[in-house]
Amino acid sequence: MIEKLSNLHDAIKNNVSSDDLIFIGGFGHLIPFYLAHELIRQNINNLSICRSGADILFDQLIASGIIKKVIFGYIGNPTVGLSHSFNRAYKSKTIEIEEWTNQSIIMRLHAARMGIDFIPSKILQIGNLPENIQFIKKIISPYTGQEYTAIPSLKPDVSLIHAQQADKYGNVQMWGIDGDTVEGALASDRIIVSVERIIDNIEIKDSPEKTIIPSHRVTNIVELPWGAYPSYVSGFYSRDDQHYISYDSVSRNESELERYLSEWVINVDNIELYMEKIGKENRLSLEKGLCGALDES
Amino acid sequence: MKVNHREINPDKRIAMIAAMELKGYRSCFVGIGIPSDTACLAKDTIEPNINLIYESGAIGAMPKTKSYSTGSPSIAHGSDMITDSFSVFSDLQAGRIDVGLLSAAQIDIFGNLNSTVIGGYQNPKVRMVGSGGAHDIACLIPNLIILMPHDPRRFVEKVDFITSPGSGAAFDKLRVKYQLGKGPSILITDKAKFVMSPSGWNLDSILDDFTFEEAVEGIPWKLSVNNKRIKIDQDILSKVHSISGL
Repeated sequence: MIEKLSNLHDAIKNNVSSDDLIFIGGFGHLIPFYLAHELIRQNINNLSICRSGADILFDQLIASGIIKKVIFGYIGNPTVGLSHSFNRAYKSKTIEIEEWTNQSIIMRLHAARMGIDFIPSKILQIGNLPENIQFIKKIISPYTGQEYTAIPSLKPDVSLIHAQQADKYGNVQMWGIDGDTVEGALASDRIIVSVERIIDNIEIKDSPEKTIIPSHRVTNIVELPWGAYPSYVSGFYSRDDQHYISYDSVSRNESELERYLSEWVINVDNIELYMEKIGKENRLSLEKGLCGALDES
Repeated sequence: MKVNHREINPDKRIAMIAAMELKGYRSCFVGIGIPSDTACLAKDTIEPNINLIYESGAIGAMPKTKSYSTGSPSIAHGSDMITDSFSVFSDLQAGRIDVGLLSAAQIDIFGNLNSTVIGGYQNPKVRMVGSGGAHDIACLIPNLIILMPHDPRRFVEKVDFITSPGSGAAFDKLRVKYQLGKGPSILITDKAKFVMSPSGWNLDSILDDFTFEEAVEGIPWKLSVNNKRIKIDQDILSKVHSISGL
């Protein structure tokens, strides 16, 4: 069996290039913050990023100036407010966008995962969204004559995802909320996975139903405990809602945001520093929080 | 006990009026915020058999603390099932989910909703979060209830952008042709209930302690006087204060 373990620097350097289309995993849960921050630290630019519902990780990538295009169904800071960096870039026309809906993005990834060009769907036939997606086309069912939207496939060059655990061969185990994470990963040509911990293959075999991506599809595994902070990892730590709330005011102001990005991205160039930055007390309280390792509720 | 409804905060008033509308449904597609709290309140009171379905793939969730994302720990924790988003959206398209609850920044007389831009699409005054699953729900769900805080800026003649299509002459025939849901049929504000007709929203009934003038204040649609009252279930009234997020 081929070993897939890598350090963070090489996993990104060897698998992501300028102009790539990247799927970024995590639906509220398991957002690969630290893994994707490496794109900023290595200044890989002209990237296109995609997923259904995007939160503040997208905002940070856009703020860093490395993003050419965003393909999305939702972009914001859930419940808290807007994606301010996205708004500035949208208004100053410094990024291209392709705006879909959550369901259509997921269908696009599903089509790529299935190896086909499109999936017929009932959505995106009325309202103002379809007219702004210029290449959207219709398809008539050869069986019934029913008219559908032909939702085109979306095949990322590479996906960045975070999961609970994997073995060194790249068998990835994940549980809890998935959203479109597995869909997007399996649609991609290359899959880079950060995990909370590396486990033995014998443990994988104890519960193979938890394996959601098999080793032969995975390009690299990187061990990054706390790599999904400030989102959460079921069984490890809860979501730092307060971090998301304070990010709203930080990201309204470009110079404050620049300071935030130096503190939380540029200057924390190894995972131990990231853990230190989160803080021992905060980590303990997140471990005790809902879905955390020490959650007793 | 006599309750003064003015003393209940507006978001909770929406949740308690809207919860009354969920009686008889078995499955409800909800988003975070007032929709989720409404469905929880209904499940806790008048409709214990309703299943809450979130686009993150969580089914049978009953969040006890405030949730910020549809994938939040409070949604995952205590769910009956966690599947993927593709599965719940597939169920939605297949017509297997009974009712949906949506909100937005703007609404017009035919229930068209805008969560995309204020101003023009290319050069907006405010760029908002986009559809998420809202367009998909508005197109596909068989029964749609809209929840809107009574802020006059949200009620407009014509929305700046139709993210989530409504009903009326523009869409009714297309909805049949494309095998979509029938569009929004009920609108709940923090003061009143409106029902959809071929000519747009009609005022149906008003929450106790509010007047007709208050119920329609700042709403630019032509609405006939109606002083019918909304009767809130006692169990809902007693439990509305304990719902998690509002």
